[in-house]
Amino acid sequence: MESSDPPGSHSKENAQEILGLKMELLQTRRYLQCILQHSNDIIFATDAGGILVSFGRGGEKALGYPREEVAGRPIRDLAVDPSEFDRLTALAQEMGNAAHVEFPFRHKAGHTIYCDVSLIAFTRAEGQTVGTVGIGRDVTQQKKLQEDLIRVDRLAEIGRTASGIAHEINNPLAIIGEISGWIRTVAGDAKGLTPEDREEIERAVRFIQEQTRRCRSITHQLLSFVRDSGPSRASVDIHKLLEETVSFLNPDLKYKEILVSINLMEGPLVMDSDKQMLEQVLVNLLSNAVYAVEEKGGKGGRIDIATARVESMIEIRISDNGAGISEENQKRMFDLFFTTKPPGKGTGLGLPICQNIIRKLGGDLSFKTEAGEGTTFFVRLPVS
Amino acid sequence: MNDKPDIRVLLIDDEETLIEYLSKRLLREGFTVKASFSGEEAVEVASNNDFDVAVVDLKMPGMDGVETQKRLKKIQPFLQSIVLTGHGTLDSALESGKQDAFKYLLKPIEYENLVETIREAYESKVQLQNAKFREEVENIYRSGMGARGIKNAMNKLRKIYGIE
Ligand SMILES: Nc1ncnc2c1ncn2[C@@H]1O[C@H](COP(=O)(O)OP(=O)(O)OP(=O)(O)O)[C@@H](O)[C@H]1O
Ligand SMILES: [Mg+2]
Repeated sequence: MESSDPPGSHSKENAQEILGLKMELLQTRRYLQCILQHSNDIIFATDAGGILVSFGRGGEKALGYPREEVAGRPIRDLAVDPSEFDRLTALAQEMGNAAHVEFPFRHKAGHTIYCDVSLIAFTRAEGQTVGTVGIGRDVTQQKKLQEDLIRVDRLAEIGRTASGIAHEINNPLAIIGEISGWIRTVAGDAKGLTPEDREEIERAVRFIQEQTRRCRSITHQLLSFVRDSGPSRASVDIHKLLEETVSFLNPDLKYKEILVSINLMEGPLVMDSDKQMLEQVLVNLLSNAVYAVEEKGGKGGRIDIATARVESMIEIRISDNGAGISEENQKRMFDLFFTTKPPGKGTGLGLPICQNIIRKLGGDLSFKTEAGEGTTFFVRLPVS
Repeated sequence: MNDKPDIRVLLIDDEETLIEYLSKRLLREGFTVKASFSGEEAVEVASNNDFDVAVVDLKMPGMDGVETQKRLKKIQPFLQSIVLTGHGTLDSALESGKQDAFKYLLKPIEYENLVETIREAYESKVQLQNAKFREEVENIYRSGMGARGIKNAMNKLRKIYGIE
């Protein structure tokens, strides 16, 4: 049959066919290139030895390596755990394909990128394996989101548990308070006590009451954090409040030899706000400052309190020359239960509660700090 | 202590130790105090004795504070109630209640604060009672009864209000 065809037309037909195939090949190549260029997925191919021979734009973007930099390198080097990647490759070779969710790769900048990856054994028509094709999707973002959700959930759970405990503690606390009050009354009326004994009892009872008050303030703070009741509004004299708060803390300050200076702006500063809440904020910030100054140790501890008008806000500044806050800790300052203090000294509730309160009052709370030098907290409140 | 009025206080809380010591302190303070450990008990006590102020815990097994307070008010309309609440329960109390309690106090209470509130509640009770008494007296005089009828009605009123 072939021989009957004229040789010229034969080769012409052949050439036609080859041209067609060539066009098709070109088309397919363009198609593949288009995918490699524009897919956000990490698409790659390796030879039988695991050396990268193709690496798409998606991979460049997700892992931070330009193609030239990784071409010719073993892909396993990009995995956080290369031997784990080897296992996956071996499985793909054996089974034809293998998949792994949230497989960790290392970004060029060093952080981990989690990918859902599939590896497919790349074979010749005769079945001989010549390499591996991989497709991966960066799921780091989703993973993080999911973890955040879990964290928020856990936080809420902790909050609920804590408030439950606080409720339970309130009753025994009340009883301790009442009994100590009773002891004071009985001892006060008792005859036959020496003045020294009377003084001793008075002092002991006073301590019990101080400490129960302290516990009560913790439980109240905790509960007010979990259950937000709105702020009440009445006119509050900020300057007076500051002075009261300082004199409330004064015994502590004197004993610790901390110098407190108050630098108030001219005239009275009266605004509509919630006095109790503000007081809570000031006590928290001042106790933190006292602690920071003490922590640093040595003499010359100072706390400066100042007020000023900044644009349409009132600013209260509380500065200390204490230990300051490391960069690492700065980010976590407002986290619930974040504390650097030993048990019994801090619960990590102070600042998140302060922030909560100030926000409720329509203001904001911020700080500036330098490790080893000191810290300033800024409370800003709207004028009215 | 003589110029101080005799204030009759009914304490209602299921925490027995708390009530025991609170009663002791209030007694020394010069109050007349009756303690009861449940809403049901309090209602019974109040059917037989008059009180000026009730201090009621909101959360009790059985009859809760709001309900107790409502019942007490029915028995003794001028009785003022101070309701003690835990933190989170305040809002729910206000919603379900609005039962014109004299005041809600947060637990654990400060003793001095409680004493002061009891005194205020008493003042408020006396004022309400006097106002109502005056109103009724006026009603009697306006009713056009004879002198004898008025005298009888007044005696009855005095007895109801406990006013001489
Ligand atoms: N003025 C400050 N100087 C240095 N570090 C501070 C200052 N204020 C807060 N910090 C740091 O922030 C952490 C959190 O403070 P926060 O007030 O929330 O909790 P706490 O003081 O540890 O405990 P709590 O206030 O519940 O008793 C502190 O443990 C401390 O490390
Ligand atoms: Mg603190």
